[in-house]
Amino acid sequence: MASKEATVYIVDVGSSMGKRNHGRETTDLEWAMEYIWDKITSTVALDRKTAHVGVVGLRTDGTENELDSEEPYQNITVFQPLGQVLMPDLRRLRQQIQPSNTDAGDALVIAIQMISAHCKKLQYIRKIILVTNANAPMDAEDLDNIASKIKEDNIELIILGVDFDDADYGFKEEDKDSVKADNEVAFRKLADESNGTCATLAEAIDQLGIPRLKTTRPVHSFKGFLTLGDPEQYDTAMAIDVERYPKTSVARPPAASNFVIRSDIAPGESTQSASTLQDGGADQSNQDGLAAVKNARTYQVQDENAPGGKRDVEVDELAKGYEYGSTAVYISESDRNVTTYETKMGLDIVGFVAKQEYERYMDMSKTNVIVAQRTNDKASMALSSFIHALYELESYAVARLVPKDDKQPLMLLLAPSIEPDFECLYDVELPFAEDVRDYRFPPLDRVETVSGKVLKQHRNLPNDALKDAMSEYVDKMDLSAFGEDDEGKPTEYMPMEDTYSPVLHRVSQVIRHRAVYPNTGIPPVNEILTKYSHPPQDLVREAKPTLDKILAAADIKKVPPKVRSRKFRRDVPKPLSGLDVGALLDTKGKRKRISSENAIPEFKQLLYGTEDVSVEAVHDACDQLDAIIRGYIKHSVGDSGYGRAIEAIRVMREELLDLEEWATYNDFLKKLKQDILSGDLGGERKEMWWQIRTARLGPIQQKEVKASDVGEDEAKAFMSAK
Amino acid sequence: MAEPSNYGRGEEEDEDDEAVDDAGYKTVKDAVLIAIDVSKTMLTSPPPSDSKKADSDTPTAAALKCAYSLMQQRIISHPHDMMGILLFGTEKSRFQDEDENSRGMSYPHCYLLTDLDVPAAADVKRLRNLVQDEEESKDLLKASEEEVSMANVLFCANQIFTTKAPNFSSRRLFLVTDNDNPHANDKALRSAAAVRAKDLYDLGVIIELFPISSPDHAFDRSIFYDDIVYSATPADPDAPAPITKPAKTSAGGDGISLLQSLLSNIASRSAPRRALFSNIPFEIGPGLRISIKGFIILKRQEPKRSTYVYTDGEKTQLATGTSTLMAEDTARTVDKVEVRKAYKFGGETISFTTEEMAKIKNFGDPVLRIIGFKPLSMLPSWASTRPSTFIYPSEEEVIGSPRVFSALQQKLLKDQKMGVAWYIPRKNATPVLAAIIPGREKLDEEGAQVVPPGLWMHPLPFADDIRQPPETSLVVTPDSLVDVMRVIIQQLQLPKAVYDPKRYPNPALQWFYRILQALALEEDLPEKPEDKTIPRYRQIDKRAGEYVLEWGQELDQQFRAWQKHNAGTTSASGATKRTAGSKGETVKRPKTENGAAPATTSDLPDDAEMRMLFERNQIGKMTVAKLKAFAQAKGISLKGGPPKKDFIVDQVTGWFENKMNID
Repeated sequence: MASKEATVYIVDVGSSMGKRNHGRETTDLEWAMEYIWDKITSTVALDRKTAHVGVVGLRTDGTENELDSEEPYQNITVFQPLGQVLMPDLRRLRQQIQPSNTDAGDALVIAIQMISAHCKKLQYIRKIILVTNANAPMDAEDLDNIASKIKEDNIELIILGVDFDDADYGFKEEDKDSVKADNEVAFRKLADESNGTCATLAEAIDQLGIPRLKTTRPVHSFKGFLTLGDPEQYDTAMAIDVERYPKTSVARPPAASNFVIRSDIAPGESTQSASTLQDGGADQSNQDGLAAVKNARTYQVQDENAPGGKRDVEVDELAKGYEYGSTAVYISESDRNVTTYETKMGLDIVGFVAKQEYERYMDMSKTNVIVAQRTNDKASMALSSFIHALYELESYAVARLVPKDDKQPLMLLLAPSIEPDFECLYDVELPFAEDVRDYRFPPLDRVETVSGKVLKQHRNLPNDALKDAMSEYVDKMDLSAFGEDDEGKPTEYMPMEDTYSPVLHRVSQVIRHRAVYPNTGIPPVNEILTKYSHPPQDLVREAKPTLDKILAAADIKKVPPKVRSRKFRRDVPKPLSGLDVGALLDTKGKRKRISSENAIPEFKQLLYGTEDVSVEAVHDACDQLDAIIRGYIKHSVGDSGYGRAIEAIRVMREELLDLEEWATYNDFLKKLKQDILSGDLGGERKEMWWQIRTARLGPIQQKEVKASDVGEDEAKAFMSAK
Repeated sequence: MAEPSNYGRGEEEDEDDEAVDDAGYKTVKDAVLIAIDVSKTMLTSPPPSDSKKADSDTPTAAALKCAYSLMQQRIISHPHDMMGILLFGTEKSRFQDEDENSRGMSYPHCYLLTDLDVPAAADVKRLRNLVQDEEESKDLLKASEEEVSMANVLFCANQIFTTKAPNFSSRRLFLVTDNDNPHANDKALRSAAAVRAKDLYDLGVIIELFPISSPDHAFDRSIFYDDIVYSATPADPDAPAPITKPAKTSAGGDGISLLQSLLSNIASRSAPRRALFSNIPFEIGPGLRISIKGFIILKRQEPKRSTYVYTDGEKTQLATGTSTLMAEDTARTVDKVEVRKAYKFGGETISFTTEEMAKIKNFGDPVLRIIGFKPLSMLPSWASTRPSTFIYPSEEEVIGSPRVFSALQQKLLKDQKMGVAWYIPRKNATPVLAAIIPGREKLDEEGAQVVPPGLWMHPLPFADDIRQPPETSLVVTPDSLVDVMRVIIQQLQLPKAVYDPKRYPNPALQWFYRILQALALEEDLPEKPEDKTIPRYRQIDKRAGEYVLEWGQELDQQFRAWQKHNAGTTSASGATKRTAGSKGETVKRPKTENGAAPATTSDLPDDAEMRMLFERNQIGKMTVAKLKAFAQAKGISLKGGPPKKDFIVDQVTGWFENKMNID
């Protein structure tokens, strides 16, 4: 459980906050609210009942607070009492927070009062954030009392001033108003005395772009013994009490759910203002005109007697089972556990491997950290000796982990890590035999030819010039000391700690933005999220001459789209021996008719057969295939012939696309569609058309062949028409 | 068959990630037909040999065993792929129950043992019987007197593929034979075979030859089969050779059995190579883009999820599910285009249009872009989130890609460096940062490739993905303790000091499928098989036992010294200590039989103490916590019973009783 939080934002809405200063396009208040909205929406996004926010308006026209009968507390309005903030509150706040017509008021006491009344003596993280331009005269006498009260209540005070001077940040306001100058001094003193912070607003806004990392409390994934040998059988076994915690775990962006516009609300009708606060999930769809979408599943089984060969069944009629190949295997409830492989919980060392020999691409998973049992000093010493020994020997351990009884065993690699105050083993899962696919690829440093020769020079191998240039380039683009640390010393560029998940923070940013500004577009991406999408400019500039050397030596060419066209590729495929099979065919009497049994090869051979394929020959071949395809569909029992038809259509499309005979294909498809849908091909064949659609065998479009008269939308319309 | 394949997308767990797979033309499924020659020589047993490893199988029998093993494997690894077995040269002939009207010809001396399909339990059973039962096979495995026409065999295969797997993107004919010269004297028949082979090529079927040599005759592909088999890059004599090495010869008493070499050969071809992505640009520097393909070589193989089956019919069958989207308020069916994405926020929903969603997730076009290079040593051992993807150059988009790729791979290998890259696998896919790690080609003893040469795309965690470690207190080890531990580690190196995945089949997965197979074939449930992942305890005891005891004693001593030194100060952990030693020197630990204290770090009642209690029937005097710890250490199961002390005492007592019997 994360700790409870209570944060009160004090927003200065005095009339002077409504002005624009120093050439900014936004008013001081709008500028300040950028900061406040970001903070508040971050809290809302946590969706936690114990993260409480209060908002107090300072220098408001009216007065509404607990002490409003007393003179010093006029012109202060509590916009939002401390509590969890939800969307309706945000909408209300957005309307309430507007520049006032006055410049008087002082709200710190109210905020302190709110916090102490709300939190009492309970465990809360207490915070007050005050944003002001400090333009109005202020009673500085009381500040000492306030400071001591803040300290006493353990409240963190953050004061952000519009255009406050800040030497560290490097800002100084010229011609500063003397009242403001005095106030700035007073605020700084207050912050100092209450152990708080006083900073200029610009700096705070700058830092909003830096994503905040969510910390997760470590929860162990295993507690038990790290053993060497079997304590049950041997007295010589070692056992160390250890605990295992996650080290890496991919943080996911908030998940979107599916909704539809509610059918009872006309589209475009605004529902934003007419909302009422709904508590919890009962009917959440009211406020925003959206209804949740759910997935309804239905099940069917084969039944020869049923129309269409399939029959609907209720889930209740079904049992759990497994597929073994195409056979359904039913396992009764009582037998369910026979498939469980019985194991005993433990972390058991199998042996040791050399660090040098371990290939990093074997890493299969997220990683974990293994430490000694946390209250066990003896275990800590024991594990430390294991870690040090591994480290000194440059070795890793391989261990078998069963996180809980009857969980499946995993093989882990344990790597030692030693820091001054922290020692641990990092573990990552290793592959089993079944997890490695046996793919083979030709070597990259030599070429073995069909005839059995081994070549060191070949167009697929780099020559010395290319190798040298590449080597130079890799060295020039080295990042290991390209970064700068806080003291300006060279350090690693792009360490993992500085890389933020783009999608996670982007999604969170746009959600929070839309919550506050529902009618504006999507804000631009924070630069920090795409900082590492390109190599650093300076380095690229330096390495440019080397890169040019590679380009010169590599002589790479983009394959022009045309080359893929058959018209330019005259080489008819030949077997390894190079035998001209076409010639064999010719001597045997050339095939002219396409048979239904062997349609695809014969169709292709008609198109490839001779040097020049005449347009007539192409049309003739297509007409023949057309008839065969219709035959497949017409004589299909159920959908039995559809697969062959689809494959033949696909081949025809592919070949005609290559030959740029788009019209032939499109005409064929148009007629075929007509006949399929009108039932001329042996009755109800809608399923066939659906299969053509899903196989993406639509008309040849302009984007494929320029000359085609079918555009994208037209193709889409043609395919979806019933 | 029409449903779009999910292959290669399983990797991305991100459900929001609805990338459109434009390559979805054909179903990405594999169909393999194994054609096995049943000639007289294929049915001849090898000469008897003294060697234990020597073959006793005839080549045909070895091929059938191979097919059997492949079928079982594929049911596990490729449950939706098809497989068939065709025998040729047999005296008997059999084909699919063909419609005689549509085809005048049949295929003499071709026997379709298993038609091309997703194998059913019955197919596995029939094949197993054939392999295991000689009587069963005698009748069928009889060579014909007349030579079978290869053209006919190939056309038979053609028809099987055409009818059973018309639009599978991967269709392969595995040809197992020892005859390198069929139709030696009949040019017309040889030509006819070449023509039928070309038909198969045009149909999109790849022929893979698994030749068998005998000691006195090496299989010569050039006589006949080079006219039958096609290479990927034709008409280039300097083209890289196809990876299948010429025949693994055997059938003599030379140690490696024919079965083994066939198995390894076929296993390496059993999975069709499927690219995860094709031709995304690999940008090594601005303006330097080559094309690459990505392959999933490492992927966790999981037991199948259970499905719904229907048991009320004549035979148990699978129920196929379809889902429809429904609006929750009115229960009307919703079309996919109507669906809007929205996020829960502050008790309500925040929604975006489809165009806006696309814009939000758009971080640029698909690319693998190098940002720079770092030494491999800068990749901490914990920097991993999921398996790496293998990448290899392709010339489909950029000519010259292989040489540039090779130059980079060789440089990175030589200097042990890695690239760091920005990676967007598909349009609108989530960007990832990745290390580009060089991979060296690895060969086994016989020169066959075990790990291909290339680069590996190793995803890196973002700052958001890195968890903080728990707070710990550290007692740093004294050097003397490390000295003993070093010896232990040195005693227990794995072979060649590497982890070889091939040695460790996944025991839970294997068990699952064994049970499933037994149930499917209605066999008895199998015995628990050997689990190769269990450490070799006897070896560990033998090789390192005495050092572990030494380490245990040293630990006790050093820890006591440490405690003395730190006496009076708060413990390093700042928490209540509960180790045995922490109670001071009062607990005298009885020695074990070997005269040493057991090397454990927890507050366990030790064996002698427990045994004493057991003998006096006083186990119950021990606290529950200690009993539990003892039970856990000894592997005594406490499951299934009530969480009561009586139960635990019973279990522990029972364990001692058993142990006594064994002792």
